[in-house]
Amino acid sequence: MLKKLQYNFCKNITKFLFLCVVITGNPALYASEEHYASNSTITLISNTEAAQPGDKFILGIRFELEKDWHTYWKNPGDAGEGASIEWKLPKGLTASEILWPGPDRIPVDPLMTFGYNDKVVLLTEISSDVEANFPLNVQAKVSWFTCKEICIPQEGLVDITLAQGNINSSNNNQEIYEYLDAVPTQFKQNYRIEKLDDKYFIQADINNGEHFESMYFFPNEYGLTSYTQSQTYEKNQNSFILEIEASKAKLNLDKFEGVLETSNIYGKDYFEISYPLKINKVGDEDQSIILLIIFAFIGGLILNIMPCVFPILSIKILRFVEYSDNSSNQTYKFGLFYTLGVVLSFLLIALALVALKSSGEVIGWGFQLQYPLIIAILFYLFIALGFMFMSNLVLGSQLGQLSVAAQVKNESLESFLTGILAVIVASPCTAPFMGSAIGFALLQPSVNSIFIFLSLGIGFALPYLILSIKPSLLSFLPKPGAWMETFKQFMAFPMWASALWLLWVLSGQVDQDTVILVLIGGLLISLALWLLEKNDTEIQFIKWLVRLVVLLILSISIWILPTSYSEVNQQNQKDISYSEELLSEYRKNNEIIFLNFTADWCITCKVNERVALNSEKVEALITQKNIKYMEADWTRKNEAIAQKLEEFGRSGVPLYLLYPPKGEPIILPEILTEDILLDYLNEIR
Amino acid sequence: MIKILAFVSSLLFFSPFSYAYVGNDDYAPNFQLLNTYGEEISLNSFKGKRVVLEWTNHGCPFVAKHYKTGNMQETQNFAKAENAVWLTIISSAPGTQGYVSPEEANILTSTRNASPSHVLLDPTGTVGQMFEAKTTPHMYILDEKGLMKYQGAIDDAGGRGFMFKDLMQSNNYVKEGLKELKDGKSVTIPITKPYGCSVKYAS
Repeated sequence: MLKKLQYNFCKNITKFLFLCVVITGNPALYASEEHYASNSTITLISNTEAAQPGDKFILGIRFELEKDWHTYWKNPGDAGEGASIEWKLPKGLTASEILWPGPDRIPVDPLMTFGYNDKVVLLTEISSDVEANFPLNVQAKVSWFTCKEICIPQEGLVDITLAQGNINSSNNNQEIYEYLDAVPTQFKQNYRIEKLDDKYFIQADINNGEHFESMYFFPNEYGLTSYTQSQTYEKNQNSFILEIEASKAKLNLDKFEGVLETSNIYGKDYFEISYPLKINKVGDEDQSIILLIIFAFIGGLILNIMPCVFPILSIKILRFVEYSDNSSNQTYKFGLFYTLGVVLSFLLIALALVALKSSGEVIGWGFQLQYPLIIAILFYLFIALGFMFMSNLVLGSQLGQLSVAAQVKNESLESFLTGILAVIVASPCTAPFMGSAIGFALLQPSVNSIFIFLSLGIGFALPYLILSIKPSLLSFLPKPGAWMETFKQFMAFPMWASALWLLWVLSGQVDQDTVILVLIGGLLISLALWLLEKNDTEIQFIKWLVRLVVLLILSISIWILPTSYSEVNQQNQKDISYSEELLSEYRKNNEIIFLNFTADWCITCKVNERVALNSEKVEALITQKNIKYMEADWTRKNEAIAQKLEEFGRSGVPLYLLYPPKGEPIILPEILTEDILLDYLNEIR
Repeated sequence: MIKILAFVSSLLFFSPFSYAYVGNDDYAPNFQLLNTYGEEISLNSFKGKRVVLEWTNHGCPFVAKHYKTGNMQETQNFAKAENAVWLTIISSAPGTQGYVSPEEANILTSTRNASPSHVLLDPTGTVGQMFEAKTTPHMYILDEKGLMKYQGAIDDAGGRGFMFKDLMQSNNYVKEGLKELKDGKSVTIPITKPYGCSVKYAS
């Protein structure tokens, strides 16, 4: 194939006019026919035909591409590269950096690039000083890529001559100013950037009357935000928020920099954003992981003496006493199987949580206590365990006969199952006790959180394991005897105390009727167990009949389990829910009141809550000044809240009201920071 | 018991690591691809050696410059001398730039004097997307255990004006990473911005 080099110098068209040089690539270097798949033309243009020493003027490189071809912005996105310009300037001239107009998004499925379709003018400001000698000639060597599906590197040399004289308007003046308008200017509004989890939030005030229909943020650098994931724009009364997924490649940049594109009916505007970021030091994280693992281990040890767990374990361990003076003991086997049961259970929990987390589910520890169904099942379990301690029922013998699977009356298997049971009964106790620690563990990378859970499990199993290997440690206890039965019966009480506590948790989530139903379920379970214990008749028919009745009773208790939240709970759970009555009562008592209008779907509200409202300092100050905190939850339509919002000229959330003891409430800014909020709270009296 | 253990360990492998993106210090997902001689090559068979992954497309001007100047070949030779495995992967979909038949790929290897351990064909783009390969070239280094240790550009020549730059003067991240791993150090620069043409995935 014949390769044609296009090289058309159009130098002296007229004396002082604009010269263009069009060069399409360099076939020696990039021998391939695609080279000629696209022609792009560059032209050097100026806003003025003449200038004098001391003047400033603007030069532009105009790129004219074939239709549907593009060239890139300074950050090209996932692929490609922006143009570069090398100026050859006569004495007395200096050139600015390229003034890049705001780019477009150019998706190349599944990737995203940033650039300009069809045409762009890249501007440079040239300053001259007294040494400049007009008329003069300016040269620029430009290299750029034009791309469609494929990319073609191109380079060209262009120049222009400027006459001596006063600055005037060239034919290209208007075009240059059009592109200058698209060059980002400093963002004047008060704004902030927050990073929460794996998202960045840009929050800013909106000037009166200003209206944006959409926004998009173009990052300056790789490793800041995701290029492909969509960004969520939310407009409030006098502020907005833009939610942007962070980049998966973590580069620990110290600045959040880029260009914010805003659009409304008049078109698009571009603004420079630059905001300092806090840098996470990798070293610190490593250290805290080891610390977390140690804490998890200690936490596991402590779990052994929690009221949920201690009864079960102590009764199992007491059986070692029988072996404590036996030289050929086998108890270490039970200990190993028990440990296996515990560790596997914790591993499964960890994997389930990690899987949920990676599927995007926001989950914290203690979630098991957010579902009435799980609480009710745990309640049954504790009632049943207490009953078994009180009676002579042995788990796995009589109950076991009901199922074929458990006919294996193997002590090792029983130890393994005890391990699993111990983890299950421990679960309600871990929630209030270690909720925040485990919550933190879940924020860690997957592998780390698995290690934390493993460490928790090992700590949990260790006391039992040690005693099983060395039962002689228990030799200080009296010889096995009647006292053991008494001890076992006594241990029913911590079990029932745990059940009571679960019921209290439940009562915060469901209405009274449901609580009563669950209590009836507990009664039925006890009845069923009692029947099982007394069922020692020789007559097979009656034996099986009783078992059938037991099964029936158990089914009923399961059938009445609560499966959903009832409406009442959220209102009753805390007394901080907004109501006009409560508000006027507080007002009557001349209290300071903070009223927070929020909604689950309001991004601004959630960011404000995470950043300012829930900060320790703010919470401490609210307690210290005895400020009454109320929340008006607008997640679902609510007439009373709508009216209140309207009273303050709002149609939506967020709205923050701070009522002084006397007088009109203060409307707080929509964008809260810890400092702003502390200032307001400190000053109010 | 063994069954349970097997089940749990399979969970361990599937659930947490099924991300498309492979973060640094994560295990690289295993894959099987045909090489240009029709043999099935599995990533896991290289456990015990450092592995370099190179995404390529011979029609891409960025790749072309790295081969024309000999920079890519030199990096391959360096890896070879270090006893590391070099897998060149082509994820161009049929009909797009860079898609080649096995024979064409072999001709490219010999005419360019390249020395990869294997050239692997990924016309569906599955493996490319598994690693979120974005550009050609896009480079990855895995350590002996199969952990991701480096991902990004081959060197620091990327950015505007790349076509003017002398690649022999650039700082080669892949060589640095391989050296540091051999010395038992952690990789100083573990992530860089990959630069080049977009990978021509099937759309």
